[in-house]
Amino acid sequence: MGLKRNYVILLIFALIVITAAEMIGTQSLSFGTFSISLMPLAFAILITMVLGLPIFRKGFLQRIYSKANVQFSSKYLIFIMLPLMARYGADVAPQLREILNVGWVFIAQELGNLGTVLLGLPVALLIGLRREAIGATLGLGREGELAYISEKYTLESKEGQGVLSLYIIGTLFGTIFFSLIAPIMLDIGFRVEALAMASGVGSASMMTASSATLIERVPEMESTIIGYAAASQLLTSFLGTFTMVFLAVPLQRFLYNKLTKKKKQQEVPADVHAAE
Amino acid sequence: MSMQLNKYVKYGLIILLSTALILFTQQVKLLKNPDSTPVEWMTIMGLLTLWLFSMIGVLLSDLMKKAPVKFLKEFPMLGWVAVTSLIFCMCFDFFVEAIGYVDFLSITTPILTFAGISVVDRLVDLRKTSWKVGIVAVFVFTGTYVGSALLSELGLFLAGK
Repeated sequence: MGLKRNYVILLIFALIVITAAEMIGTQSLSFGTFSISLMPLAFAILITMVLGLPIFRKGFLQRIYSKANVQFSSKYLIFIMLPLMARYGADVAPQLREILNVGWVFIAQELGNLGTVLLGLPVALLIGLRREAIGATLGLGREGELAYISEKYTLESKEGQGVLSLYIIGTLFGTIFFSLIAPIMLDIGFRVEALAMASGVGSASMMTASSATLIERVPEMESTIIGYAAASQLLTSFLGTFTMVFLAVPLQRFLYNKLTKKKKQQEVPADVHAAE
Repeated sequence: MSMQLNKYVKYGLIILLSTALILFTQQVKLLKNPDSTPVEWMTIMGLLTLWLFSMIGVLLSDLMKKAPVKFLKEFPMLGWVAVTSLIFCMCFDFFVEAIGYVDFLSITTPILTFAGISVVDRLVDLRKTSWKVGIVAVFVFTGTYVGSALLSELGLFLAGK
């Protein structure tokens, strides 16, 4: 019986948070030519995360953030997300002809996901990361990369620590990051269609954050934005593993060797199969 | 067998909870801004459709775990739900219409509420991550987004769109 009451408390808390987030609504902040907007979805995750900080988690909040409730949320989050995924079909279907017309653009932009290596790896090496950089820049650090790195290097290795750290950071701040970068790119002058396609990064919540912010800024394009983002996301879930194994891994190895050779680094990833 | 059945009842209830929260959010949105998407009978139909597609996707995902092809086995549940919905929506316009009555942004707020609750115990793990990976993360996230956006921009330009 106590368990049931626990869930009821969680549900009431969720209703209160949703109401608060929706009542705050969308808040825009401008910095010169750039403006970012924080939407209810960002407030929802901010409120729940801040209240869950150890310093606040006392008294009644401790009952809300009980072990069972936090476990329930993380175990079943994926099921709570399913209706969103079901919604995407309805957004892609009417535009499928149009999407297939520019289908090659969708496939080509998948290669943009290599940007994690191209931009991330030099920065990682520059600030002194070595083997951690392999794990932290292979991709967005979601389940696909986590599985690949843990299979190849184990999660206890330096590479594993890198991917695990990225996974944690992405889980905590990914949605907020993508809801901030999307409008900035729009202000730089990118087309909303291009940004919608780019939103399909491979993490459902990050894609949602990015596309929702785009909708907020360009509401008349809502159906195009959701359709493009969802199609690109679906394509990433089909092609993501292939892009990673056949393109990101060799590219990363090549860049890593190239960039570390000058410094006579002995740690070359091909030689450090720590687990093997 | 009854264990199996129990599992699906549980999933079904959780997805039902999720759709109920969407309805709640859409109603709150309406209180805040009377011009937002109204709550009508079709909204309920839309939510039921979302529930149905989610359940079919869950079953499909479980069935495919027994498939001999590795690719099908590892294709995520979220993907199966999207594929299910895409196929049904292409065959029957009714589903597209009904789902259209469900406000998109109202779907997102409840999800992020639970996402926030689910990660609070990871906040302490942050101490285990180095600040260096934090910096790298900014560039990794920017890299994939800007990389894809540049190629999309170029592609759409070449396609004459």
